[in-house]
Amino acid sequence: MTIRSNLLTQITTNLANSSIRVSNELPFNTSGNPLYLQNMKFVYVDEEQLDVEQLYRTLDQSNVNTTVTTVNAYLSVDAKNQLSDINTVIANILSARNVVSSTLDSASNYETDIEDDVITYTFEYSYTTI
Amino acid sequence: MAIINVTSGNQAILTLGNTAPNAATGIITNGIQIPFVQDITVNATPGTVRYSTLDSTSSSAFTTVNENGISLNILVDELIMFGNSAASTNSVALNGLLPTSIAKTEVFFSVAVTGTGNAGDINLHGKGFIGGLAPSASIDGAVWLTPMEIIVNGELSKGIET
Repeated sequence: MTIRSNLLTQITTNLANSSIRVSNELPFNTSGNPLYLQNMKFVYVDEEQLDVEQLYRTLDQSNVNTTVTTVNAYLSVDAKNQLSDINTVIANILSARNVVSSTLDSASNYETDIEDDVITYTFEYSYTTI
Repeated sequence: MAIINVTSGNQAILTLGNTAPNAATGIITNGIQIPFVQDITVNATPGTVRYSTLDSTSSSAFTTVNENGISLNILVDELIMFGNSAASTNSVALNGLLPTSIAKTEVFFSVAVTGTGNAGDINLHGKGFIGGLAPSASIDGAVWLTPMEIIVNGELSKGIET
C-alpha cells in the first residue's frame, strides 16, 4: 500500500465518530474550485510528492538515498460556525501520521487559510525513508 | 600529469580473496569486492629511529621496517559482513569479514587505484589480517556503519594490469 492509501485508511478510522468524512478522490479542481471547497466537511488527501536525496556517497557509486515523501490533505469547514469537535478532528487527522512505520523521520502539521466564510485546513505529512 | 578521479565507480575498490589470484583486480572471478566504501586510506609508512649527535643541532634518522596498512569506512552489507554461502570458491566471501577477522585468517587484497579491467590500470596488493571492525548503528545514521583495516603482513606491491 502507498503512504497515501495508508493515510486515507487511518484518517477514515480516526474520524469515524466525528462530523467529518473522508473522500478517496484527489482534490482536483472542478468548475474552477478544488473539491474540498465544494464539498466542505470532507477530507481530501492529495497525491504523494517525492524528494530523493543522497544520504551516503560511496566510492563504488552504490549510493544510499533517503526519500522524503510529502502528502497534503485538505479540509474546509464553515468559518462562522466552527464545528464543536474541530479540535478533536484536527488532532485525529494529525495523529494519522503514525500509521506509516519504518521511517527515519516523520512529521505532521497544518496551517489554516480563511477566505470569505470558509476556513481551509491544509495538513502536511512528511516521511523520510531509506 | 593528471589527478586520479575516483568518481567513476571502479577506482579505489578493495578486493579480498583467500588467494592472491582471487584478490586480483581486473579479471575478477572469485574476488570479493567490498561494496559501500565511503573512504579508503593506504598507509605505507617506513619505521624510523631518530638520534642526536653532539655535532649537529638537528636530529638524524634511519629507517627500520615498513608498517603498511589499509584503512577504510564502509556501510555494512549483510553478505559481505557475515558471509555468502554461495561463494564457495573464496573462503573470505564464504565466511564474511567478521568471521574472517575473528578467526584471524590471513587474506589477500588488492586496491584498484586507477580502475580495473583495462591494461595499464594500477593496483596495490598484498596480504594481511582484517581488523578494526566496529559496527555501529544509530537512528540518525539509519544504517550500520563500520571502520575496517587490513594490517598488512609484509610489503605493499604495485601491480599493473596487462
